[in-house]
Amino acid sequence: MRASKLKIRVSSLIIITVVLISCASIQEGVEAISKIRLSSSDKEAIVKTAKALRNSFADISEEEEYYIGRAVSAFIISKYPVFQNGALARYINIVGNTVAIYSNRPETYAGYHFLILDTEDVNAMAAPGGFIFITRGLLKRCNDEDMLAAILAHEVGHVSAKHGLRSIKKSRLIDAFKIIGLETAKKFGPEKLAQLTTIFENILGDIAEKLIERGYDRKYEYEADKLSVEFGTRTGYDPNGLLDFLETMKDDSSGASKKGWFKTHPSAKDRIDKVKKEVNSLKAVPQREAVRTNRFKRAMKNLK
Amino acid sequence: MKKKSRFKLLLCTVLVVFVVVLVAETLIVKVQATNLRKEPKFYSPTLAVLKAGENVEKISSQAGWYKVKTSKGLEGWVHSSAVKTKKFTLLAMDKSLKTQATADEVALAGKGFNKQVEEKYKAKHSEINFAWVDRMLKIKVTPKQLEKFLRDGKLGEFGGEQ
Repeated sequence: MRASKLKIRVSSLIIITVVLISCASIQEGVEAISKIRLSSSDKEAIVKTAKALRNSFADISEEEEYYIGRAVSAFIISKYPVFQNGALARYINIVGNTVAIYSNRPETYAGYHFLILDTEDVNAMAAPGGFIFITRGLLKRCNDEDMLAAILAHEVGHVSAKHGLRSIKKSRLIDAFKIIGLETAKKFGPEKLAQLTTIFENILGDIAEKLIERGYDRKYEYEADKLSVEFGTRTGYDPNGLLDFLETMKDDSSGASKKGWFKTHPSAKDRIDKVKKEVNSLKAVPQREAVRTNRFKRAMKNLK
Repeated sequence: MKKKSRFKLLLCTVLVVFVVVLVAETLIVKVQATNLRKEPKFYSPTLAVLKAGENVEKISSQAGWYKVKTSKGLEGWVHSSAVKTKKFTLLAMDKSLKTQATADEVALAGKGFNKQVEEKYKAKHSEINFAWVDRMLKIKVTPKQLEKFLRDGKLGEFGGEQ
């Protein structure tokens, strides 16, 4: 009896030790891979691992999202002039960051940053990673801080739910991940770099087309509206701010109605119906405060 | 008897190490930089700045925040959106926190869409201007400014409704 008990103890000790050692070997193996030159079969194995690890937009790292967002932003800024006013830029950035901290994704690789574009077009756009753009034409339609916060929260919603990254064609990501997985050196060689840059250009094209030309899928816009109500309310803003803004878009007869947000977003009426339902389902709706409207008006004096 | 108790002791030691290692969860900073905060609030005073790739040990969690301990022994709060859970945490036992790498880190280590790809893209597209993107990134909102803005505007915990 004693001998068999001992046997059980010894074997369980061995099993546990083996488990621990094998874990340690995985670790060592992983570290070794990063240091040594590899045979082609090893490379294949790594690619398989890389494939297993990364196959969709959700596998894009924070840093990669940042670089995609930078280039999409540079593209947007190349199309529109920037409205330069330090005081107004600071105000927009603080309102935007305030709703961002109450969002589902308060921190991104390099944080949220907001820029005003100098155009009468009524538009707002969000590039991956948290680069957000709002036009002078749209700002002019805002009557108070709660309205502005609702629009910025809609854009933060796009970033938070990664709608930009979701717009990338999957085949491009698979190709990119394959190249990235194959690369063992610290830096990409010229051929790989050229291939990857071409994919990068196509990825930017996918996102820019949605942002500027065609608009995101309707479901993403409705989702961003829903998130705007959610994040805004959590911050303490009146979510009716979004409705007020959409109302100004409803019977718009100005030239703006063919461009910007009008072109890339679902009809204001459909959005109003959905947002009303969201607002009505809230237990408590924060009220607007004169102190916020006053500081909004002070900041907006810089718009003229 | 002596033999038996020695085995018992060994077994217990191995088990204890195993359990301790399983419980200690390591988090990796996945954003460029995040603040280690005194309290679980975005406008709380900053204790230290943690950089991308830095490892911290999770102590506890509370509504989207983790209480953590840094490799220097500093304790504070980080937001869950700034960190990811490290795989293979079992291995924390024989390596210092800093020298570990997971399989996906190896696949990604400084690779993917990065500065090198951006430079190549810039060389091909001189018409695309990155200068404003860099200026945009320089606009920072400090925790103090955030707190004042919330307080003055009756927002967040300073609001009547919340």
